[in-house]
Amino acid sequence: MFSKVLIANRGEIAVRVIKTCRRLGISTVVVYSDADAGSRAVEMADEAVHIGPSPAAQSYLRMDAIIEAAKATGAQAIHPGFGFLSENAEFARKLAKENIVFIGPNPGAIEAMGDKITSKEMAKNAGVSTVPGHMGLIDDADHAVKIAGEIGYPVMIKASAGGGGKGMRVAYSDQEAREGFQSAKNEAKSSFGDDRIFIEKFVESPRHIEIQVLGDKHGHIIHLGERECSIQRRNQKVIEEAPSPFIDEATRKAMGAQAIALAKAVDYDSAGTVEFIVDKDKNFYFLEMNTRLQVEHPVTEMITGLDLVEQMLRVADGEKLSLNQKAVKFNGWAIECRIYAEDPYRGFLPSIGRLNRCRPPAEGKLEGATVRVDSGVEEGDVISLFYDPMIAKLVTHGPDRRTAIDGALAALDRYDIAGIQDNRPFLSALLSQERFRQGRLTTGYIAEEFPDGFSGAELSADQRKLFIAAAGYAHATLLERASKISGRINSRTPPEREKWTAIIERKLHPFEIDRENGRADIMLETAHDRFMIETDWRPGETLFEARIDGVAVALNLEPQREGYAVSRRGARAHVIIASRRAAELHALLPEKETADAGKTIASPMPGLIVSIDVEAGQEVEAGHPLLVVEAMKMENVIRAERSGVVKSVEVEAGASVAADDVLVEFE
Amino acid sequence: MSTNNRAGGMKDILEELQERRARARMGGGEKRREAQHAKGKLAARERLELLLDEGSFEEYDMFVEHRCVDFGMADKRIPGDGVVTGCGAINGRPVYVFAKDFSVFGGSLSETHAQKIVKIQEAAIRNGAPLIGLFDAGGARIQEGVASLAGYADIFLQNVLASGVVPQLSVIMGPCAGGDVYSPAMTDFIFMVKDTSYMYVTGPDVVKTVTNEIVDHEGLGGASVHTKKSGVADGAFENDFEALIQMRRLIDFLPLSNRERPPVWPSYDDPDRIDESLDKLVPENPNTPYDMKELIARVADEGDVFEVAPDYGANIVTSFIRLEGSTVGVVANQPMTLAGVLDIDASRKAARFVRFCDAFNIPLLTFVDVPGFLPGTRQEYGGLIKHGAKLLFAYAEATVPKVTVITRKAYGGAYDVMSSKHIRGDVNYAWPTAQIAVMGPKGAAEIIFRQDADDPEKMAEHVKEYEDRFANPFVAAQRGYLDDVIQPHSTRRRVIRSLRTLRNKQQSNPWKKHDNIPL
Repeated sequence: MFSKVLIANRGEIAVRVIKTCRRLGISTVVVYSDADAGSRAVEMADEAVHIGPSPAAQSYLRMDAIIEAAKATGAQAIHPGFGFLSENAEFARKLAKENIVFIGPNPGAIEAMGDKITSKEMAKNAGVSTVPGHMGLIDDADHAVKIAGEIGYPVMIKASAGGGGKGMRVAYSDQEAREGFQSAKNEAKSSFGDDRIFIEKFVESPRHIEIQVLGDKHGHIIHLGERECSIQRRNQKVIEEAPSPFIDEATRKAMGAQAIALAKAVDYDSAGTVEFIVDKDKNFYFLEMNTRLQVEHPVTEMITGLDLVEQMLRVADGEKLSLNQKAVKFNGWAIECRIYAEDPYRGFLPSIGRLNRCRPPAEGKLEGATVRVDSGVEEGDVISLFYDPMIAKLVTHGPDRRTAIDGALAALDRYDIAGIQDNRPFLSALLSQERFRQGRLTTGYIAEEFPDGFSGAELSADQRKLFIAAAGYAHATLLERASKISGRINSRTPPEREKWTAIIERKLHPFEIDRENGRADIMLETAHDRFMIETDWRPGETLFEARIDGVAVALNLEPQREGYAVSRRGARAHVIIASRRAAELHALLPEKETADAGKTIASPMPGLIVSIDVEAGQEVEAGHPLLVVEAMKMENVIRAERSGVVKSVEVEAGASVAADDVLVEFE
Repeated sequence: MSTNNRAGGMKDILEELQERRARARMGGGEKRREAQHAKGKLAARERLELLLDEGSFEEYDMFVEHRCVDFGMADKRIPGDGVVTGCGAINGRPVYVFAKDFSVFGGSLSETHAQKIVKIQEAAIRNGAPLIGLFDAGGARIQEGVASLAGYADIFLQNVLASGVVPQLSVIMGPCAGGDVYSPAMTDFIFMVKDTSYMYVTGPDVVKTVTNEIVDHEGLGGASVHTKKSGVADGAFENDFEALIQMRRLIDFLPLSNRERPPVWPSYDDPDRIDESLDKLVPENPNTPYDMKELIARVADEGDVFEVAPDYGANIVTSFIRLEGSTVGVVANQPMTLAGVLDIDASRKAARFVRFCDAFNIPLLTFVDVPGFLPGTRQEYGGLIKHGAKLLFAYAEATVPKVTVITRKAYGGAYDVMSSKHIRGDVNYAWPTAQIAVMGPKGAAEIIFRQDADDPEKMAEHVKEYEDRFANPFVAAQRGYLDDVIQPHSTRRRVIRSLRTLRNKQQSNPWKKHDNIPL
């Protein structure tokens, strides 16, 4: 086995690879950019080599610098992770020349599978079922209409070099085929510099299901079952699971066999993934093959008990696979949620900045499930715009799908993140949906279930009860402490049962609470609902974990000027706890209209305009960066206070501005 | 029979008291109370219910009526005379309060109204309890003429005598104009309620007559004017409820008088708590801002912070926190605003806060990241020299425990000002990221090596040289200007330990009638 491996990647996958290497007694080298100098991966690795500035093109994509780092540190092999250089055949070849082992498949396999048209042809030749379509390129709009007619509508018009949803159009008619061809071509040209277009059948109600394969350098190839990744937003996977709730044993076998056939056709000799699209009748068609480790590989690891990184290291080192197809056993169900630094309430706008708080749930057993957290960041780290804004992959495993889902929800409830906005509320809301729980998934799931975006989950009566209990307990605890302040002249001992009112959205919910350390008896008067809460919560904690009548719950509790901001599973509420009389008085005060953020953005300080990121007529979401003002040599990003259309930009880059000068005007 | 008579008489007397009380509590009557609600405001007694512990209010002078007979006032008498005064408790600790009652003569100030306030002001000073005034009034009782003006002056005098003896808080919850503004102006803190309160010396009508300037109440003296532009007010709240609940919270931080130590309550937070994320707070790039408020919250017990004047002079932060359950005043440069530079507003704001803490035995914790004083004509014409000197003066004369932590920049004269060792800082720490120098490396190199100004390569070398020499805390530590260089993650533990050793600190200034701070 290798004694030293270099990881040409960053973030959670670098950390992930380091963990396996450590376990196997392999020392590790990571390369890092400016932005990652203090990262967890750099801290964990035995050695770290700085390879350039923050933009990936000047660091993680620099083959020369990475090879140099490997030579300088004596690393025998390089694990490329995913993204960056992981599917770059040239890189793999260069490494071979330098006698450094590329921990991935042979360059020929990378190349063959890297091109959409070649890979499809190879798949067809290997007996893999492919989406009905025209194998050749499309010359012009008329050709597109002709081919579309032959295949039968609806059709998908796709850029050969495409990916991530760019250069893709669905057409249901000749007219749409004509238009779609042109726009896909334009987009492909500008996005990839390659405007080759082809057309294939568009599969309706499709599911994205992929097969994990594993091969060695001795011609052995096995598959490790499927993963379903249908929950996607703009072609970005959000939630993945293994196995698929849709696939039966026969289909699994058939898909596995085809995946192996394709892998064999390219002498595949590492971990890889064959992606299929599956229609509502369980017909499956080849999409593409990813010749690297997938982001969502942990779900396969959880149900097979294998460490895929270890397997990659072993086969790269020339070892034979230690198990055959028969030895592959599937155990239980695993779900992965990708926690991103993005604001689900504001159109999933990336939310960058410092992770003021980042406390993952404990790994191990939770609610009958097993929790695993793959993360490359920790409290105090900065999520930058340079890279994928992923905070963590939260993986839960249980004996069945329900347990895995409930475990994921419980773990999300206990993931405490602040400082930036993240998508936990959205993930929780989605996992709670009946349709998801029934496994009725398609790649259009999010678009269908959240057609107008995400605005939070409704506060159910049960959630409200939890919120009142938590805020009530917190309030009673703080009050009891306040009664111990020095300098008192009135020594009032609190009555046995305190009568309070919870004010939520101006509605009054009277309740009584009888609290002693760690437990409280709470009675909601209107609902005649009485229950016992037990908790270790202490003032200053934002995660409120408790047992309510014996059932474990967790929620987020942030003190505000008045009361608490409470949130759980996508539902949020502002809860004020007041005495009965104080609540009556509160009710006398009018509800204030939330001040509409001004139509102009003024400079908060005198300074110099460094750059302008918007132009007149541009539509921006709240929080979108508008321009950068430098003051006292510090760069300050000025952001939109609300969503809207930019009417005009009143300044130019390089201009000096005084405090309160108008910078940007909105429509 | 006679016994019966006496019993009946006593019953009548008791009943009459009840009736008189009920009448007094009605203030200006149900209609006026509703009018108050319609304006989004609570009535005076309702406000006191929110401010004080339930059932703790002892009202004084409920039956006081004015003595004016001019302009038909003889027939218009309402018990209480436009102000509710008395004593109560906040979490069991005593406070004296007065609340202007807008429903009675618009809360206007008469001779007797003033006497009621003076009475509790005197009691507060004598008995050592904070004084809280709730303002919502229409100014002087014009019918009383000079007697009303005399009343104002009597109150002003008591405000001055109370200053530095007991904490005085003012909450502006409605109109507050003319003579009414000067009593709050002399108290320690002024808070306002957004949209329903305003404060000015002369109102929009007079402004228009005299200067032809057209401005409304809000634009002339609303909460946003005074919390952001003028700095007259120290904070604004959404409504009466929030304002009064927050006053309770603030009182929990303050000692009852200058004769006492700040209050203590049991802390739920570990004094030895280590915070690894602080090691990553200061960015690699010295020109990238970070939020100093995060440091304050992370050091504080339970993350609980009461910030004073958040929107004025935001380049400096002034907050109350607790360490080991006991109050500490924090002054911190804020790199997020103007790089944390000291300017007129920041200096004034912080100087006043430092003096408040010193007057009331509240230890001072200073976090320093200051690039210097703000250059420019606006600042110099505005008297930055004298305003900056206020902060220097305030820190230098303060004898309470003073702990300082330099997190990054401490440049030039601003380094001296920010509770440096040289002006009697008790314990001065720096993070390893600190740079203590006369100015930034670039500026310094450009002056020292002026001859190489046109040679960027040489200049870069000089900058590097200066950086290596001074862009660290060790030069200052070698001279003893710093007591230690500490790990950011241990800041809370180290500050708490220092404050423990300073608990019995005794220090006094030379005898003087009073100092002559550059006002």
